[in-house]
Amino acid sequence: MADVGGPAPYIYVSTRMRVRKAKLIPREEYLRMLNMSLPEITRIIGETEYKKEIDELSSSFSGVNLIEVALSWNLAKEYQEILKITPSGLMKFVQSYLRHWDIQNVLTILRGKTQGVKPGKIKEVLIPAGELDRNVLDRLLAEDSPERIVEAVKGRRLGPVLAAGLHEALEAGSFATLENELYKNLYGQMISDAKGGIKGGHEFLGYIQTEIDTRNIMNLFRFRAQKTSGEAVKALLIPDGKAFSVDELVRMSSIESLDELIEAAKKKATDPELAEVFEELRQQRPIHEVEVLLTNYQLKQMDRLSKLYPFSVLPILAYLEMKRYEVTNLRAVARGKEYGLPNERIESYLVM
Amino acid sequence: MADPVMTLEMVEASQMGLKAVGAGLAVGLAGVGTGLGEMGIGAAAMGATAENKDMFGLALLFTVIPETIVIFGLVVALLLLF
Repeated sequence: MADVGGPAPYIYVSTRMRVRKAKLIPREEYLRMLNMSLPEITRIIGETEYKKEIDELSSSFSGVNLIEVALSWNLAKEYQEILKITPSGLMKFVQSYLRHWDIQNVLTILRGKTQGVKPGKIKEVLIPAGELDRNVLDRLLAEDSPERIVEAVKGRRLGPVLAAGLHEALEAGSFATLENELYKNLYGQMISDAKGGIKGGHEFLGYIQTEIDTRNIMNLFRFRAQKTSGEAVKALLIPDGKAFSVDELVRMSSIESLDELIEAAKKKATDPELAEVFEELRQQRPIHEVEVLLTNYQLKQMDRLSKLYPFSVLPILAYLEMKRYEVTNLRAVARGKEYGLPNERIESYLVM
Repeated sequence: MADPVMTLEMVEASQMGLKAVGAGLAVGLAGVGTGLGEMGIGAAAMGATAENKDMFGLALLFTVIPETIVIFGLVVALLLLF
């Protein structure tokens, strides 16, 4: 969007995001969906914002696949639309946030290719929301070897890291380490973007640090579940969080009892809401519930920040994150129903 | 050099002129204020209407509310002139 001066473009965008936020599916609707069958859920989704995609795709897909593909398409479309109305001063930040999807898509293609999955099948799970749009992804899908794929994205920002780690990943037969490196590199780049002296960088930094903190805490609980601790986890944590430094997290990972860990974490958490989340985590919970709790905290935090700084990138990012979790939720409901999981089980995976 | 003589007509004319300047300022500055007020409301109204067409009527109503400021300016200007 071309910028006129003053706060007008920011007000315009933040209003649009607010209206869209109000249109997101409310908690009660999810609870209602849990008591429906899959065709009914498809019908309900087809009456909401996803109508166009459901109608378009219903001739080529059915059942749970229809829902999945429609959701991804809608998400990608939504992201591209928002890029069109983003004021040019914030463009850089939104693009740098959307690079999450590039990493996810490229890794999905690489994983699919090495497993020998058909390109058509891989295409169903791609979400072309980032810098690599549908055409680029199609070209990547047409490449025949992982090396060629990496060669094709050499000029992009994720190129160098990908090229450096590919050989090792192929030898090990797993892309986990490479994925970690890519995300660490992404957060590093986002932080340097935010500190680059562009107007609005300060608010963007606040968002990134919140995200890094919640991710690190999630990982901390994952390590506990896998009985990993100490120096082994150091490579897997993302540096530059706000509340916890990597060294503190490494120390916390070696604490045996959950109570002591919670106490240590609460001492460090400056935000009372985060302290409350830790209080909730005091009882032993399965890892996905820990993730849902932390994600909820992160979304609340972003919502609060976006109201605090309405003339920044935060209203946009808050909406994008909420939309992303709406799609994740609908997907969880559809998949759960498909496999006949009990309602309580599905509900525990929903971020509401 | 002799002092220039101020006649009554001259005084009246300059008073009239200053009143006209005051009236102009009243309307002009009030208009600027209105513009500033409408900038934010207008931008938000456009955003809301773009998302939801039914908002148009309400958005228009909110957008014209700051127009009252100009009317105050106009009233003051008219009081000055007449």
